[in-house]
Amino acid sequence: MIEFESVAKVYDGQREALSNVNFRLAPGEMAFLTGHSGAGKSTLLRLILGFETASSGVVRVAGTDLSTLSGEKLARYRRRVGVVFQDPNLEDDLSVYDNVALPLRISGFSESEIPKRVKAALSRVDLSDQATARPRVLSGGQQQRVGIARAIVHRPALLVADEPTGNLDPELSARVMRMFTQFQQLGVTILVATHERAVVESLPFRRLVIEKGSLVSDGMGTNR
Amino acid sequence: MNRWLLDHTQAVSDAWKRTSDRFTQFIVLVCLLGILLAIPGWLAQIWIGMASLVPEDAVRSEAIVFLKQDLDVEARIDLERSLSEMPSADEVVFVPRSAALEQLSSQDGLGPIADLKSNNPLPDALRLKFTMQGVGASEDQIIEKLTSDQRVLSLRYYPSTRIQYASLVEMLGFLGIGLSALTIIGVLMAVFLVAAADVVDDRRRIELYTLLGASRRFIRRPYLYRATILGVLAGLIACLVVTLLNEVLSSVLASNLEALDTRLTNFPMDGRILIGVALIAVLASWVGAERAVSRRLKALH
Repeated sequence: MIEFESVAKVYDGQREALSNVNFRLAPGEMAFLTGHSGAGKSTLLRLILGFETASSGVVRVAGTDLSTLSGEKLARYRRRVGVVFQDPNLEDDLSVYDNVALPLRISGFSESEIPKRVKAALSRVDLSDQATARPRVLSGGQQQRVGIARAIVHRPALLVADEPTGNLDPELSARVMRMFTQFQQLGVTILVATHERAVVESLPFRRLVIEKGSLVSDGMGTNR
Repeated sequence: MNRWLLDHTQAVSDAWKRTSDRFTQFIVLVCLLGILLAIPGWLAQIWIGMASLVPEDAVRSEAIVFLKQDLDVEARIDLERSLSEMPSADEVVFVPRSAALEQLSSQDGLGPIADLKSNNPLPDALRLKFTMQGVGASEDQIIEKLTSDQRVLSLRYYPSTRIQYASLVEMLGFLGIGLSALTIIGVLMAVFLVAAADVVDDRRRIELYTLLGASRRFIRRPYLYRATILGVLAGLIACLVVTLLNEVLSSVLASNLEALDTRLTNFPMDGRILIGVALIAVLASWVGAERAVSRRLKALH
């Protein structure tokens, strides 16, 4: 699903954020991307989301070289990817329902299809009863679940999460990770960037460790 | 409802929501833009309006060309033809000396000179009316040419008010254009700055929509609708201010207008100015929003 081939990213011609990164993530696979702050996790995710282009090497997602995409093609590619942020980044002036419906409206889903999908996504994150609420009245954990519902509502083949449990307590973090595990079982490819060792070590998934822009370890984690 | 209509309805409601969230800022901007644009609009109105007020005689130069006594008919017709073919000449009328004597004798106190009919001392003349668009330089050339013409005895040149005050009018025109340009630049800068600030406020939203795969068109749409609403309202205010100022000017000048030309009772409003002002308001606002969102989107990559 995701393929990095000798990828390097250099900013301003001198600051090397990534260096010779090679890995492949098969369809339906889930992996953690770990490393300290500034190690290059965000750059790697930005490359996958098409916000950056590699200075050298190739980034392929579902067989497509992302450097060949721009404009409308790039927008269409992003519609097939789900993204979860540390800060759920919800629109305060929209209800929970409308926030979750946003990717569907952007993708041009029909108005008859949208309610079914939004209902299913909210039910998957146990927030069916909060559909009409405004995000600001929800707790941090609930807001994060709305963010997850928004990321999966259009049933993406790839889900990318950037520190999704960064603002949550351990119990909520575990719940969010259980959700990701369920999505993975449904065939979604998932890449979770996190620097929380407890989260990574609690689940038996592949672990990519990045340090100073280089991939220093790629192996399976252990389920404690 | 089809997708296109839905997208646009959503963009309009989004634009309206954004407007109501920052209502005070929006109203201040509308008034500022409207009043600033009214300045060049009103200057243009004075410029065009004044031109329509000045009587035709005052904006057309004229020359009376007195012909030599012994000039034969053929030479006179030749001169008359060469004058009428000049681009600055609008009309050439032959005034025979008998008609000139008759006209002169009809004036107060000059009745007795009609007795000179048999021994008329007046020369034949050509009355040359210049075009309204004529410029001083080309009229001067014609006068110079006529003065040195062997067939011409003498001539009297009555330059138009416009030509007499050409340098003053030209300076005022440049001042007006300069002031209008400065005001329009000021308007554009204000609109661009506010549009940019608006977009910076929405930075997170634009990033989110980009991440979710929204096309540039989809992201821009609400901002452009908002800009259009702003431009239309500002244009209306500008038109209202220009019309009101024109009414005030008309009432002040009413008595003077009648003295200038009895046919004139008001200071006519030029519709082209109102359309121009409204169009500039909409375009400035639209271009400002378009530019600000495009720059933000470009900065994302």
